[in-house]
Amino acid sequence: MAKVGFSDAVLKEVNTLFERYPKKVHALLPVLHIAQRENAGWLPEGWDAYVAELCETTLNHVRGVITFYNMYKTTPVGRHHIMVCTCLPCGLCGGTEVLEHLEHRLGIKSGNVTPDGQFSLEESQCLAACDQAPLMMVNEDLQKRITLEEIDRWIDEARAKKA
Amino acid sequence: MAEETLLLLKNIRTPGYTGDLAAYQKAGGSKAWEKVLKSMKPAEVIEVLKASGLRGRGGAGFPCGMKWSFMPPPSDKPHYLVCNADESEPGTFKDHLIMLNDPHEFLEGMMIGCYAMNSHHGYIYIRGESQHAIKRVQQAIDELYKAKLLGKNILGGGFDLHLTVHPGAGAYICGEETAMLDSLEGKRGQPRSKPPFPAQSGFDACPTTVNNVETLANVPFILNQGAEAFAALGPANNAGTQCVSISGHVAKPGVYEVEMGHNLKSLIYDYAGGIRGGKKLKAVIPGGASAGILRPDEIDIPYDFDNLMKAGTMRGSGAIMVFDEDTDVVRLAERTIRFFNHESCGQCTPCREGTFWLKNMVRQFMDDAGDEALAKRMERAAFQIGGTTICAFGDAVSGPMMAFVRKFPEEFAKHYAS
Repeated sequence: MAKVGFSDAVLKEVNTLFERYPKKVHALLPVLHIAQRENAGWLPEGWDAYVAELCETTLNHVRGVITFYNMYKTTPVGRHHIMVCTCLPCGLCGGTEVLEHLEHRLGIKSGNVTPDGQFSLEESQCLAACDQAPLMMVNEDLQKRITLEEIDRWIDEARAKKA
Repeated sequence: MAEETLLLLKNIRTPGYTGDLAAYQKAGGSKAWEKVLKSMKPAEVIEVLKASGLRGRGGAGFPCGMKWSFMPPPSDKPHYLVCNADESEPGTFKDHLIMLNDPHEFLEGMMIGCYAMNSHHGYIYIRGESQHAIKRVQQAIDELYKAKLLGKNILGGGFDLHLTVHPGAGAYICGEETAMLDSLEGKRGQPRSKPPFPAQSGFDACPTTVNNVETLANVPFILNQGAEAFAALGPANNAGTQCVSISGHVAKPGVYEVEMGHNLKSLIYDYAGGIRGGKKLKAVIPGGASAGILRPDEIDIPYDFDNLMKAGTMRGSGAIMVFDEDTDVVRLAERTIRFFNHESCGQCTPCREGTFWLKNMVRQFMDDAGDEALAKRMERAAFQIGGTTICAFGDAVSGPMMAFVRKFPEEFAKHYAS
């Protein structure tokens, strides 16, 4: 198991965060985000207990929070984590077709990671840019009015970069 | 395109406007904050807000001044103002437009709100997926600290104020104010039973008020131009302008600012350019996924809180979703219930179980295995969720799901088993 714990620089960042809240546990959501950022987008084994101790709360509490929110992952995500909105109105403006196309191109169903660890796919709810439907989010980058041709081009480029 | 009535989006519609503090101040920004700090008592600010008639733009339409007046007088407990920037109601994107392009406007409103309610710390709760909005608002806050408009002893007036951006982590229910407070406390976002209301016991069990981004963005105008100028816009009891998010099968989807009470049909045809591809209109969802659907012959009405309620639906967050003649309303119902089932927090049985069973029923129609009895059962199941849950989520499922079945029986009939 890899080492669990923040570097001194990140600990400093977390401590600055704690100062913004009456209690350390209030900062649990942002601290979990930082833990994911430091671990390629997910929470490997042992990090829940580490964050619990840091935020002065229980392991049970942290596990409850991790399983409640969509954005916390307990299994690895791809280097490119793709979210596709299939909610209203994206779902009726091409969103479901975008998702199907990605599933076909990547050879994985929504909720999975490609065997090479490059891509993971997630069907998502509303991403709050409905006028630009359909929407696809890759890591933190929101891609608007995405077409199937653009997706093909993007996948080819991402694969070429890796090779 | 028809002209907008620009109050909130005036800066954003100015070509070349950057949204940084210098540009905001050049356009007349920060004046209300200075005026309030130098010449007004907190109670006076609340009186102005009450007189303006501003109602909350997040969904419920609660009078903002009255909400602020519920906060108790200063005591040894800290007071908090939380800005609801979660914006996760499907179809809504107007708060993101404001946050990304003119963040200082709503931040100034928030700072004035903090002063009026004796709060020295405010939190802006932004959904975790919106890293771009989180970064943009944080950048604006950094500018305010640098300009000494935030921090300790602001402008020498003796008032201290801090603002903190808090990221969510992907849960629709955290847009509900008490779920948001739990989430801000590092918990699962599950709505609380009321009373106690947040003004008595909110964040960290202290007096707290929660306001939407667009609501707060109105505050500087009201303080600068006066409550009368604001109340003069829109019909009685529905004062001001509104930022309406229009999406779906229209030619020009986007945010449009119009007076409260502007005709709904005109919004779709004169502003959003009508139905794209010259198609006919089939249905309009007028207030986010939580609002009941309307037929084309029902949309010639003023768009505001009271008139939408009269029409048996709601204005909600001002999100108009438009669907053309090729849309399958059953699929619309399926997307809607799939969303609600996914986002139910699971506390209350009628909501947790009801959304699950409703989803299964709609899926039977999707598989062309429905019948009239199933449609009736669906309507009854939806009805029974209403009014039985801790928060308004139950009603938000109940209303629209009943409306789908009642308003479009012919669409469901297309999916009967043959």
